[in-house]
Order: sequence, then C-alpha cells, then structure tokens
Amino acid sequence: MMITNWLRHEVIVFFAVMLLSCFPMPGWAASWEEVQKEAAKITSINARFTQSKHMTILAKPLVSQGRFYFQAPDSVRWEYASPVKSILLMSRDGIKRYTLGSRGLAEDASGSLQSMQVVLRQISQWSRGRFTDNEHFSATLKGGKERKIILEPREKGMAKMISRIVISLSSDRPGVLESVAIFEGEGNHTLFAFTDVVVNAPLDESLFRKPQ
Amino acid sequence: MMTRPMIPAGAALMLLTVFFASCGTLPVIRPLDAAGTQAAEERCRLPFLEAPHRLVHAIEAGSPERAMGTVLGVTLFDPLSGIVRSAILTLEGFVLFDARYDGGVEVHRAFPPFDDPHFGENMMDDIRLIFLAPQGRLLRAGTLDNGAIVCRYEDPRGRTIDVMVRPDGAWEIATYGRQIERLRRVEALSVKNRIPEVVALTGFFTVNYRLHMTLISAEPVSPGDIRY
Repeated sequence: MMITNWLRHEVIVFFAVMLLSCFPMPGWAASWEEVQKEAAKITSINARFTQSKHMTILAKPLVSQGRFYFQAPDSVRWEYASPVKSILLMSRDGIKRYTLGSRGLAEDASGSLQSMQVVLRQISQWSRGRFTDNEHFSATLKGGKERKIILEPREKGMAKMISRIVISLSSDRPGVLESVAIFEGEGNHTLFAFTDVVVNAPLDESLFRKPQ
Repeated sequence: MMTRPMIPAGAALMLLTVFFASCGTLPVIRPLDAAGTQAAEERCRLPFLEAPHRLVHAIEAGSPERAMGTVLGVTLFDPLSGIVRSAILTLEGFVLFDARYDGGVEVHRAFPPFDDPHFGENMMDDIRLIFLAPQGRLLRAGTLDNGAIVCRYEDPRGRTIDVMVRPDGAWEIATYGRQIERLRRVEALSVKNRIPEVVALTGFFTVNYRLHMTLISAEPVSPGDIRY
C-alpha cells in the first residue's frame, strides 16, 4: 500500500515533466489558452532523452539514457537503455514495467503499477494542455528574456518530495527547451534533456504493449 | 488428574523441527601452519578496500525466489572512520532514502516503503557487512574443503562472521547468530581490482530477502566527501 503511494506521486511528477518537456511550445510564453491550442495538435511524440541526476554525494551526475514514445491520448513507452535497461509501458490495457536483471528481462512483480491508473488520467489532461487543472501542482508561466514554466506543489506532502519543477525555454528558438529540472531539496535535482524529437509521426501500436 | 499440554505434541514437534532446521553447524576450517595462517589473514582483507570509495549499483531487490523491482544505490564509505553514506533512488532519479552512519544512523530523507524506523539500521548493517572489514576478534583462519581461504570472526554482538576468499579472487561472507542460525550471506563475483562487478546478498531467518547488486561505477573519494 505504501509502495503504491510513493510510486504514484513520483511517477505523476515524472510524467508531468516528461510530457511538458516533449511538447512543442511556441505559444507557451503567451498564455495557457495557446498552450492548449498547440497541445491539441499533438498526436504522437518520439524522442531520445538524457536524465542527469545531481546529488551532493555524487561528484558528477548519474546519467541515464533512453527513448520516449507518446501516442495521444494516453499511451506511453518510457525506455531506459542505460545504465539499467528498463521499459515502462502504459496504455488503456494497463501499466507494466520490465527490467533487465539477473533473471533476464522480467516484468516487475511488485504489483504496484496498477495504481498508476491515476497517471493515465494526468497524461490525458496534459496531452490536451490542461496543466492548470493539476491537483498536485500549481503552474506559472513566466515570460521575458528567460522564459520559464514553474510548477510548485499545492500540498505539504508533495512539497516534501518535490520542492519545485522549472522548465526553461529557449529565448531565441521558439518551441525549444533549454532545460527541465526537478528539485527535491537538500541539493538533489534531476535534469532531463530531450533530443531528436519527432512529432506526429505514426507509431506502431505494439510499442505500447510489448517490451521488445 | 491429567492436564492437557499447552501446545499439542504435534505442533511442538513441528516448532522444534523448524527451530533446528534454521540452525546448523559452522563450516569446518582446516588449520594452517603459522606462515599459512598469517597469509590467510592477509588474504581475508582483500574484500575490504582501505581507502574511501563511492560506488553506484543497480540493485535488484526481492525474495530469494523472485525479484520485485530495481533501484539505484549510491554508497560512500570510509574504512578508516567507519562512516557510511548511502542513498536509494528510483530509476527515474527520485531519492527514496538517504542516510548516514557514524556510530549511529542519521536519516536525511525516507519515503515509503523505506521509512520504517528499522530500515536504516538494517540497511547500514548490510552495507557495512559488504564493504567494511568485520569488527571484533579473529577466532581462527584456515581453509575450507573447496580450497577457499577463510577467516572466522566474532563481532561485539556475539555473531560469527566468516570471510571466505576463493582462489579466483571471488569472495563470500556469511554471518551466523548465537545459535549458529544463518543471518546473511554475501557473494561477490567477477572481482576486478578488488571491486566486484556483482554482489548478491541474501538475508535469512526472520525475513528472507535477496539483493542482487550490479556495479555501475566505482571511484575513490576523500574522507571529506563523507563528512556530512
């Protein structure tokens, strides 16, 4: 039961960042209405990602790399290639995680992933650009030279886990991200970078149902 | 007048069977001559690095029969001071647990399922068992039937700790309670430059669990990196 709670909150935040990072954002600095208008045009996303974990006890960040696929309204494949091969599949059929370990590529046996149905609902909202409807985070658009989207937790419980999420947009390249940072406090934060982003290309449905 | 026993005989027999099944005998150590014993004692220090290090592992956790999930573990330890700093992260980078040991456990951050008050102590016990040389007195050193060098220690809590180093450099640590019940077994495989690429820890007795740790990175650090 307790496992489902941390998993739910953490993954909600995780996917929030992931989706915010991937969507093209030419209108984001202007208004939420434009965000929703732009988001409505997205049917699929396919991108590489690099995740850099910064901690006070690490001299250099712990880097993970992989690939991300999204099919509107709520199908996701989040696949790590390194340092640990792991594939999270989310679709209306359910949620499964496969990890390469001592017994080969095996499905997560904890059974806790089914609680992530709530994540699917969040993804459905965000894929339509409805970020202000989020029950866990308040969202602020900041314009000017350094354009940012800042997500801050609404509840104390969430604030203990995630103190802030900052999405920085390029000032000279509309729609391009400079960085996305999740701050956990105590000198810990995670940076996500997406490259080779392909939008609205057809994706095979099996990507969201089969690990290989 | 006859009185009924508090525990039926069958149940009592079963309890005794379970009790004795969980206990056992310690592996037989073949003695060596004085020079051989000294060499064995030196070889038993191989698993334990002398300088502070930072290690990052992928940790597959579960029961001995099946894995439940994988997390990332960051561990810093200073063999001289015995200070340990450790964090557990999800693959997505979220820090679930962060604690430091310096004679006692100081938890900096803990989220379910790692927020049990005893979790930090047990985790630090396991980390110290794997990476730091045993505290306590050396009872004897020698060889096992399989040719491994073995050193047997008794720690301040009365537990027996066997450190075994095989001819290929792989090593194993086994701990036993006062009734010679098995407590932990640590097996290190593919050892390169004294650092194993895989460490498997199995916990017995009250709770059976297994951690399969695959090395991601290892680097020396300064004692100051572990100070806070």
